Amino acid sequence: MKPPKFDYHAPRSVDEALGLLQRYGGDAKVLAGGQSLMPLLNFRLSRPAALVDLNRIPSLAYITEQDGQVRLGAMTRQRTIEFSPVVKERLPLLREATKLVGHLPIRTRGTIGGSLAHADPSAEYPAVLTALEGEVVARGPKGERVIKAKNLFRTYLTTSLEPDEILVEVRMPAMPAGAGFALEEFARRHGDFAIIGIAAMVVRDGPRCRTARLTTAGAGPVPLRLRAAEEILERDGLTDAAIEAAARRASELVSPDADIHASADYRRHLTGVLTKRALKRALGAARG
Amino acid sequence: MAEMVTVRLKVNGVAHEGRCEPRKLLVDFLREDLELTGTHIGCEHGICGACTILFNGEAARSCIMLAVQADGSEILTVEGLMQNGTLHPLQEAFREHHGLQCGFCTPGMLMTALDFLKTNPSPTEAEVREGISAVLCRCTGYQGIVNAVRAAARTLGGAAKVESGT
Amino acid sequence: MSAPAAPKLVGARVPRLEDPRLLTGQGRYVDDHRPARTLHAAFLRTPHAHARILRIDAEAARALPGVAAVLTGEDMARDCKPVRAGSRMPAYKVTSFPALAQGKVRYTGEAVAMVAAESRYLAEDALDCIVVEYEPLPAVAAMEAALAPGAPVLHEEAGDNLLLAREFACGDVDGALAGAHLVVRERFRFHRHTAVCMENRGALAEYASATGTLTLRSSAQCPGIVRDVLADLLDIPEHLIRVVAADVGGGFGAKASLYPEEIAVCVMARRLGRPVKWIGDRREDLLATSHAWDEIVEAELGVAADGTIVGLRAEVMADVGAYSIYPWTAAIEPVQTISFLPGPYRIEHYRGRTRGIATCKAPMGPYRGVGRPPAVFVMEGLLDRAARRLGMDPTALRLRNFIRAEDFPYKSPSGIVWDRSSFTETMLRAREALGWEAARAEAARSRAAGRWVGVGVASYVELTGIGSAIAVSPGMPVPTGTEAATIRVDPAGTVTAVFGIASHGQGLETTLAQVVADELGVPIETVRVLHGDTALSPYGTGTYASRSTVLAGGAGILAGRDVREKTLRIAAHLLEAHPADLVVQDGRVAVRGLPDRYVTVRDVAKAAYGGVRHLPRGMEPGLEATRFYDPYYGTASNATHMAVVEVDRETFHVRILRYLVAEDCGRIINPLVVDGQVHGGVAQGVGAALLEEIVYDGEGQLLTGTLMDYLVPTASEVPAMEVHHVETPSPTTLGGFRGMGEGGTIGAPAVIANAVSDALAELGIEVNELPLSPERLFRRIVGGS
Repeated sequence: MKPPKFDYHAPRSVDEALGLLQRYGGDAKVLAGGQSLMPLLNFRLSRPAALVDLNRIPSLAYITEQDGQVRLGAMTRQRTIEFSPVVKERLPLLREATKLVGHLPIRTRGTIGGSLAHADPSAEYPAVLTALEGEVVARGPKGERVIKAKNLFRTYLTTSLEPDEILVEVRMPAMPAGAGFALEEFARRHGDFAIIGIAAMVVRDGPRCRTARLTTAGAGPVPLRLRAAEEILERDGLTDAAIEAAARRASELVSPDADIHASADYRRHLTGVLTKRALKRALGAARG
Repeated sequence: MAEMVTVRLKVNGVAHEGRCEPRKLLVDFLREDLELTGTHIGCEHGICGACTILFNGEAARSCIMLAVQADGSEILTVEGLMQNGTLHPLQEAFREHHGLQCGFCTPGMLMTALDFLKTNPSPTEAEVREGISAVLCRCTGYQGIVNAVRAAARTLGGAAKVESGT
Repeated sequence: MSAPAAPKLVGARVPRLEDPRLLTGQGRYVDDHRPARTLHAAFLRTPHAHARILRIDAEAARALPGVAAVLTGEDMARDCKPVRAGSRMPAYKVTSFPALAQGKVRYTGEAVAMVAAESRYLAEDALDCIVVEYEPLPAVAAMEAALAPGAPVLHEEAGDNLLLAREFACGDVDGALAGAHLVVRERFRFHRHTAVCMENRGALAEYASATGTLTLRSSAQCPGIVRDVLADLLDIPEHLIRVVAADVGGGFGAKASLYPEEIAVCVMARRLGRPVKWIGDRREDLLATSHAWDEIVEAELGVAADGTIVGLRAEVMADVGAYSIYPWTAAIEPVQTISFLPGPYRIEHYRGRTRGIATCKAPMGPYRGVGRPPAVFVMEGLLDRAARRLGMDPTALRLRNFIRAEDFPYKSPSGIVWDRSSFTETMLRAREALGWEAARAEAARSRAAGRWVGVGVASYVELTGIGSAIAVSPGMPVPTGTEAATIRVDPAGTVTAVFGIASHGQGLETTLAQVVADELGVPIETVRVLHGDTALSPYGTGTYASRSTVLAGGAGILAGRDVREKTLRIAAHLLEAHPADLVVQDGRVAVRGLPDRYVTVRDVAKAAYGGVRHLPRGMEPGLEATRFYDPYYGTASNATHMAVVEVDRETFHVRILRYLVAEDCGRIINPLVVDGQVHGGVAQGVGAALLEEIVYDGEGQLLTGTLMDYLVPTASEVPAMEVHHVETPSPTTLGGFRGMGEGGTIGAPAVIANAVSDALAELGIEVNELPLSPERLFRRIVGGS
């Protein structure tokens, strides 16, 4: 399993990278952390004319806070996110999700931008971006545009990024202080993609639930926001009965596909189970 | 035809230079061009971890990196663990606790465990299991490896500091 | 002659001699060898499950820069014979297994062309340029359908897809079951599995035309068997072929067979006069390394009211894949299942029938446990069903039926003879170590509190160290009953012990050195064990069927005795003493009771090579011996496994809370190594029970072609294990050793299945299908479309 031939470019700036993408007119692939793309190249399932490697653009790796948002450069490594005090403080759900991304040696190389642009619906980051109503910044020949999470993921391994665009930044609103959160995953083996994952965040206001967020991983072609289930909680509060009802509703909202590890029915069942577990844990962690 | 690229890097403290196609995997460059065959190839899709090395001090899979990406980097492979003819305490612990059988996953397991112990110098058994779950071993049932890593953590005395990201 | 001094090393926890090189990256696996001018091979593997090859156009590939040659099945047929795994077994049909497909392909992944190029990268580029025109044929995907009238036939020469059938019958089982107090029946399904050695298979051939010698370095378990068959297939005299299997990254049986790629690299190397290396990648491993198990077993067990077994009847169907693998044949798995089904129990009335059915899948081959993991899953599952219906404790039911001390040697209804074993003792030890009663009570309390916790037990016996009385695989033509050792003491007094077996993780370099050092009375540091090289060793076959400790250990003892005896005679001559008055220990031969009157083994060795004037009258110079050992029947090895598990009530994930083994491998050479073998075996059994499954779709396409789909357990899925030893030296083997490399994998699937059935007993669910994926449990418990 050796990759096919390709041209290789390691531009030093995003503009240079954009120029290369234009030059290859859609036949080039952007190489970020490589933890998903390199296996595809080794299997020769991907045969790009060229690789445009972003790893020599240091300006794409940063974590900053601005306007209530945490902004992460697309080439910020998952390992950096895992140990970042800013992420721990402002985006604890992202931190929890990061620890579930593969294994530490994968996170050494894997990047947040690469993971989102790869758009594997079973992956953690697309679910978290969706749950937190984050957005990404794409830069193309015509400049920058901001794409909201709900508009980013189109279907399996497909985003709304144009072939001549590069995802350069990820923005997530800092989680409200005291928000409860959890990412519950079920995988058959440690470190694997989840059969189902549920990202949850709840903001309490006394007995009431001011905000509820629920997003799936693995329950369809894109991460799915379970708005109808969230509404139950925002209406009825975080009682056991409401959580049960939200979990039931969650399992009705998804139409997952089957694969060798799990049928659609089992995935639907797990969606309910993990929604309940995620909400209970989020509730336990919530203050306010 | 893709051009050849020059790769300059430091492996186990020694500077090397080589030329290869840009598609050449880092693990093949280490094994073929530098003749450091201690790093093994087990799956070439980033799952088994046999090819794990320390890349600028952090564990990474060398089967899903290109050699050209390692230009300018510092790499530690299993060949660099022994110092002055003495086994590294982690290697010693693997021998003492029968943490290897066929030896094929061992180089990747050692490099993974080394990095893991840097981030978690005094782990619980469950944490060790989680840490080494990055590497598949088919011989030991992991029991000897878990015992070895825990013993090495004690030997190394938690001297390694928790590594924080930037 | 004098007895050896009390063993010092056998039984000791000696750190392994192979470890320093393996820990420092200095192991030498096949891929680590890089002779000058090596060409790298890659195989074009068919995407079709079953198709006729109409045309292969390799011109574009041949024209690529860096490509030395492309071979097809027709080229290969000119240079070598197809493999035909023969057997004397009646109702077995011999079929051909060519190195490259000829005329048609029979499973997805079968090699149709081979490229040799200056690098593996270029070789794979060349594969992209080869055009093969196929006429697709209907796939034979399921074994049940393969036997239906009108089903497409894989091997025209066989007439149909039934490659073998066999029956073992003893007593009147129909009558016994008709009169039984209780008959439990079940249809058990054990899905397809594969070994996933961390080192993929690889082979490197070098041919020297001037001398006509062929050297093959291979990741093989059986260098001797490969050498012998290559001589025939390639028409090269046997003594001109050298097969080397030095460091090998795990085998587990999957590397015990001859593979097409091994033949193909030899053919290519001979054609081109350059070294040719093929290193399989993981995709090739999952596609084309042998698979295991994949059986449907319909079985019935009859018991009396007090739990005494009255009869056992079973029908086995095995999906043996597309080809009959050499030398074991397609019979190895299905026949072994019915051979071992009666287990460690007294059973008078038995009938086991088995059928091996060809389908469009990778060939079935030997894998850790061979036939016994399914057999034990079935038998232990039936016993638990009987116990549950009789209201008996499952351990009590087993204790009632075990072959007892006074029954040994016991001839099983399938014809295997069990020597003195510790079925009852290991059960009692396991019960005590687990705290069986307390664990059951605790599980019952947990269940009452709404948790699905269960306790399981499984016992088994396996035949190991098999001698010449029984073929390792039924009717196979290769003799598997002997091994040899050469022990050479050089003039400096250091020892080289050479064996025909091979070691791929079992630590045989250490354990055999322990045996030899004890026999010779020398420090282990002065003993070096060589293995896995047909040019160095006396005639042998290799490592398989839990034989190497028993057979090579026995040969080592015999050769060691000869060398020791000669050492004593020379020492007696030098010391002017009688050999019977001498003891040899720590490299010194001393007069008993007079420790200061001694010569060193080095002094003796120097004399031995110094010529006849230093030696007793009539003695030949030299200090070396080669001896062969045949344990004839072989010996039993047995264990009881116990597990406590919890099934998550919502996700149906199975968690192993406790795992315990009480085993008996006879006299233990190195507890470190024995425990390691048990741990590794159990881990593979846990994988088989919960995670690992080779899946093909209805068109014969492999759906588990990566390690993201074929789930090898990580450290997080494998439980901590407690291992207890009952040490009953085998009465039938030299040294009292029993083989033990496979046992962990034999017991684990059954005990996990039984523990889960216990956890789910209130739901009326009894496990009859492995692996026990959460999806399968979901379907059993919740239902679903």
